[in-house]
Amino acid sequence: MSSNGFVMSAHEVRKRFGRLEVLKGVSLEVKRGEVVCVIGPSGSGKTTFIRCIHHLEKIDGGRIEVNGHLIGYREQNGKLIEDSERSIARQRAEIGMVFQRFNLFPHKTALENVIEAPVQVRGVPKRQAIQQAEELLRRVGLADKRDVYPGKLSGGQQQRVAIARALAMRPALMLFDEPTSALDPEVIGEVLDVMKELALEGMTMIVVTHEMGFAREAADRVVMMDDGRIIEEGTPEHFFREPREERTKQFLSKILV
Amino acid sequence: MLAAFEWHILWQRIFHPDHVFVLALWRTIYISVAAQVFGVLLGLIAALMRMSKIWPLRVLSGLYVLVFRGTPVIVQIFFVYFGANLLFGFNLIPRTANFGLFQLDGAAFAGIVALSINEGAYMREIIRAGIDAIDRGQMEAARSLGMHYRLAMRRIVLPQAARVIVPPLGNEFNNMLKTSSLIFFIGVTELFGDAEIRYSTTFKPVEYFTAVAFWYLVLTTIWSVIQAQIERKLSVSERGEEPSFRERVFQAWAPVAAWGRGAR
Ligand SMILES: Nc1ncnc2c1ncn2[C@@H]1O[C@H](COP(=O)(O)OP(=O)(O)OP(=O)(O)O)[C@@H](O)[C@H]1O
Ligand SMILES: [Mg+2]
Repeated sequence: MSSNGFVMSAHEVRKRFGRLEVLKGVSLEVKRGEVVCVIGPSGSGKTTFIRCIHHLEKIDGGRIEVNGHLIGYREQNGKLIEDSERSIARQRAEIGMVFQRFNLFPHKTALENVIEAPVQVRGVPKRQAIQQAEELLRRVGLADKRDVYPGKLSGGQQQRVAIARALAMRPALMLFDEPTSALDPEVIGEVLDVMKELALEGMTMIVVTHEMGFAREAADRVVMMDDGRIIEEGTPEHFFREPREERTKQFLSKILV
Repeated sequence: MLAAFEWHILWQRIFHPDHVFVLALWRTIYISVAAQVFGVLLGLIAALMRMSKIWPLRVLSGLYVLVFRGTPVIVQIFFVYFGANLLFGFNLIPRTANFGLFQLDGAAFAGIVALSINEGAYMREIIRAGIDAIDRGQMEAARSLGMHYRLAMRRIVLPQAARVIVPPLGNEFNNMLKTSSLIFFIGVTELFGDAEIRYSTTFKPVEYFTAVAFWYLVLTTIWSVIQAQIERKLSVSERGEEPSFRERVFQAWAPVAAWGRGAR
């Protein structure tokens, strides 16, 4: 547990791609066991923010801590210096990430996808990793797909394997970037169910999603991003009943048909 | 004119190859295999150098391709052979090194070195294209699980790139089998060299070169069957099925079976 009591805390994070400033000072703090949904129009910087937490992008200003450890950088004489490749890798192992397009390893079976990182990164004995992976696949309802390659799985099944794969590293924090937006409508539910269960079990989660039904059921907090900033923050109920900002109202009226 | 063609020479070269000939055939095979293997390794190293964060490595990799794809192989072979001679004398490269089945003299060694370096330049491009063909999301997913760059490359990206690389790699080896004939010019008696020597003592060039063409054809045909096998196997697992043992046996014999059907 971190010194300041937050699993993740981002302070004034700035990020630019060339001339384009994508994050203009984003601050967010997430407590242990909290589920935070991030909403906002396309291009508002949601994906970029999530990727910064995982240090898949460098940041140009501010700081991000996970479990009290500065992500991607080291402090030296008051300056931030990018960490070595290996220590960044070590930090990433503590943070799970689920991508919009699943990104399962196509040359490995469902089980092999799940045991890959525990065995290769953590050095978990293979037999033990397999046991754990079977348990995880059972949890996401795919025990029978153990030896199937991703190419033979539906999108919903692939995304559930991807969740199991991330969980196999026993992360302190799970990041989801629109995990259901590449899915057919009929399989969205099965993925959201797995995520809801995870939330109930007390996993700390940051979820970029426009599934307001999920937000209402599982989220403790919703943050609205617009143009590289968090413009509004509150409980899911707040967003349904009395959003404050005009931009939020506009946005919600578009996604809540 | 055709009457002058001495069929018995061709016959004898094909059905009763003598010991000297078999040795020459064997040289062609092991020199090609060795040059291809080292070529792939060099190509892989150069491809990884090209993606390096350190710019001199990237420049070096670029120069390598520029020079070795931009000059004739035969020039490179001569350069390595005489260059090594000039620099070290032939003593450094063992005049005949004995590795059991392989008796590697200085010339054969220089030949393998030159062919490998040349091949590496082509392989770098092929491997690079293979790596580029893999979705960037694969590397990101691997890194998001805590893999560092090299581990992600080795476990996730390269195995997938290998599937893309195999077909052009097979074509490269087909070329290598034939290109290796050039090292006759630094005095290695491989397949072509053997024919050259026979013809110069008998003045029957057409017979001997027909025979040698036949043997090259045998080598490249065998290789294309093997290559098809490998490609089929890869494409099966690509589709997400693990072939059963029975299916694998079936696949292995498929070309033979196809010939059988054709003959009937
Ligand atoms: N690698 C990159 N290089 C240059 N510009 C980028 C890059 N990645 C993102 N951007 C730009 O940054 C802005 C924010 O992108 P981001 O993907 O974070 O938005 P988003 O809120 O996730 O949108 P969406 O809802 O469409 O996924 C966009 O204008 C995008 O074009
Ligand atoms: Mg996005």
